[in-house]
Amino acid sequence: MGDVILTMKEIDKSFPGVHALDHVNLEVRRGEVHALMGENGAGKSTLMKVLTGIYKKDSGTITYEGKEVEFQNTREAQEAGVVIVHQELNMLGHLTVAQNIFIGREFKRGLSIDDKKMNEETQKLFARMNIDIDPTETMSNLTVGKQQMCEIAKAISHKAKVIVFDEPSAALTETEIEELFKIIRDLRSQNLGIVYISHRMDEIKVITDRVTVMRDGSYVGTLITKDCTKNDIINMMVGRVIYEDPKSASTVPEGAPVVLKVEHLNAGNMVQDISFELHKGEILGFSGLMGAGRTETARALFGADPVESGDVYVNGKKVVIRTPQDAVKYGIGYLSEDRKRYGIVVQKSVAENTTMATMEEYMAGLFINKKKEKDTAQKYVDALATKTPDVDQLVVNLSGGNQQKVVIAKWLTRNCDILIFDEPTRGIDVGAKNEIYKLMNQLTAEGKAIIMISSEMTEILRMSDRIVVMCEGRKTGELDIAEATQENIMNLATREIS
Amino acid sequence: MGKIKQNPFVKKVGFNRIILCFVLILMYVLFCAATQGNFLGMSRIMSALNYVYFLGFLSLGVTFVIATGGIDFSIGPVMFCSALVSGYCFMNYHLPMGLSLIVSILVGTLFGLFNGYLVAYWSVPSFIVSMASMNIAKGLASVFTKTQSVSWPQSSAEGGWYRNLVKVGNIPVGLIIFLVVAVICAVLLNNTKVGRYILCLGSNKEAVRLSGVNVKKWEMIAYVICGTLVGIAAIFYVSAYTTVQPGYGDSYNNEAIAGCVMGGTSMAGGLASISGTVIGVFIIALLQEGILALGFTKDYQLIITGVIVIVAVCSDVIARRRKN
Repeated sequence: MGDVILTMKEIDKSFPGVHALDHVNLEVRRGEVHALMGENGAGKSTLMKVLTGIYKKDSGTITYEGKEVEFQNTREAQEAGVVIVHQELNMLGHLTVAQNIFIGREFKRGLSIDDKKMNEETQKLFARMNIDIDPTETMSNLTVGKQQMCEIAKAISHKAKVIVFDEPSAALTETEIEELFKIIRDLRSQNLGIVYISHRMDEIKVITDRVTVMRDGSYVGTLITKDCTKNDIINMMVGRVIYEDPKSASTVPEGAPVVLKVEHLNAGNMVQDISFELHKGEILGFSGLMGAGRTETARALFGADPVESGDVYVNGKKVVIRTPQDAVKYGIGYLSEDRKRYGIVVQKSVAENTTMATMEEYMAGLFINKKKEKDTAQKYVDALATKTPDVDQLVVNLSGGNQQKVVIAKWLTRNCDILIFDEPTRGIDVGAKNEIYKLMNQLTAEGKAIIMISSEMTEILRMSDRIVVMCEGRKTGELDIAEATQENIMNLATREIS
Repeated sequence: MGKIKQNPFVKKVGFNRIILCFVLILMYVLFCAATQGNFLGMSRIMSALNYVYFLGFLSLGVTFVIATGGIDFSIGPVMFCSALVSGYCFMNYHLPMGLSLIVSILVGTLFGLFNGYLVAYWSVPSFIVSMASMNIAKGLASVFTKTQSVSWPQSSAEGGWYRNLVKVGNIPVGLIIFLVVAVICAVLLNNTKVGRYILCLGSNKEAVRLSGVNVKKWEMIAYVICGTLVGIAAIFYVSAYTTVQPGYGDSYNNEAIAGCVMGGTSMAGGLASISGTVIGVFIIALLQEGILALGFTKDYQLIITGVIVIVAVCSDVIARRRKN
């Protein structure tokens, strides 16, 4: 390890209602691979966005190559030599490799673009990296792994001195990961500073020199990788004080009937051979890291995305669910993780949103019985304590928690017996969170069954009766609440799959 | 959200529509002044009304499509296609007048079904579909009529009763029919399941789909409603003007869309106003009549309606940006 190239000190950043970064520190040296770890929402990405000028920091200092800097945008950061290789690749599929690498700064000869020179330069770059890709190949013909290599080559071509890898291995195969590691080691030996964000514990041990752990937007500590164990890191990641008591035992009565049974569900890479059962009156938590395939499983089950294979049984009867219409018919309701896009129609009123899934019940002949519609909406507004001046209010004017309540009301009017709550409290303040929890408990007491997908460990431990843990599109374990701890969930969620 | 105290009347009718009414009256007064009162005459008003009828039905129809977030550039040529095919059937195959009128509505409806099916079930952009069916409609009409223009019968001729749809003596029957249909459209849009789903899917299709609604069906129905109204527009066109020529009709697209967006229907979908469309259509018709009365050519009208569309859409975009 060489001298310090980048220091982020006491970085503080708040968004309305959220303290996203609370005096976070990060120090990167030349010739080191520095892991940045933390649960979903710990603030890793936010920190990197502050570094590259996508977000403005509220306070704190960034020192780069001995000078205090504040990049205004990614372009400025890039020019100075700080580059991010994103998890989602930003490549244009129909252009060639070389055209992608030099996009925005093409070589020109007169008025025309000098493709020949770009190809030569790309070839030189690849030679330096020791990789074998044809610069004239069309980008979309390459594997994801190769595309990632190109992204890295692009970063290097910017004369990068610090490269941030944001979960680079998420979409790669074993061999591709090895190749990636070779390149990263190469870059390290060329004295670059490398920040490596990943959830894969085993990779951290293999490739990184130091680890900085973040939790809930604050800095926990920095360790030297070879001196610590996997468990040390996990403990640092989850070791927060839990304010809400976790559930100590399942509240589902012994022998409660199975209302939903899913067997060997397959739908693309993110849903592979998923099987589970859901009992009446149960909250089944789905835990896992970002990209574990939980939402995809829910969407496939609900008929929102196409299913490849698998059997679904509702109340013991085999059913085929091809569209959300089918799912609703069988009494399944889905509250999306992304309310604004998939949950509510923001330009419509509370009443109109409430009755969306049950229009038939409000028809008087050809016409909508608006009075009945409003009465029902009002009933649910009262029952859920939704804060809105009246049911004619447009949903866009409500707060996140209250919008969520409108979506819940939509499924309650439908009287669904199986409810899928996908991140039910995302972006909702603490008070409203508790109300949603209370409501979920009330629903299960009434005999409804709930699948709750959540990335918040405390939420999983507080609400679930049983927990399914997923990792990379597969189910890696199932725990009864009595035996579940943050540590063993995290272990399953980060379990390496070969 | 700024809290502006609104009086209940303004809130109910909508600020936009009140302004539009003032614009309409102001335009009329200006045209009267500019033509030294010539514009006051009954013949001018009747002539403007003739324009209102067919354009009104086109505009009502396209309102449903725009409410879904789509667009239909085929309405003008499809209207001509309907008029030509049904007129040709009447003249050459001696179809009874009543049946010919039904053929006209049917042709429009089929085009709507075609557009709607491709847009909703095949996810082809409505822009592309309607551009293509615009040409199909023009070509089809020319082939069917062997590139001849079709003259529908005069009032006195056999089957000429259809012209009573526009006016009987000095009573503007057409106006009454148009307003009745407009009211039906408003009820359809605001008080029935069709309208509710059309508006909701125009605003957030995915959320509606995930509520278990068959969004494809309802999206297609919007185009079918549009097509039917276009077929009706064809009847009113020939009732007013009797002669139709193949290969035309494009310019009415712009005017119908202008009338619609001017009235407050958002090109982004989800928001639509039938009463706004009705006022918008009156403004466009008055404009065209006024421009002719002032001795300008039709070209000026093309420029003005083009500008109206752009201004209306821009103000919609600005309004949205403010909200965010």
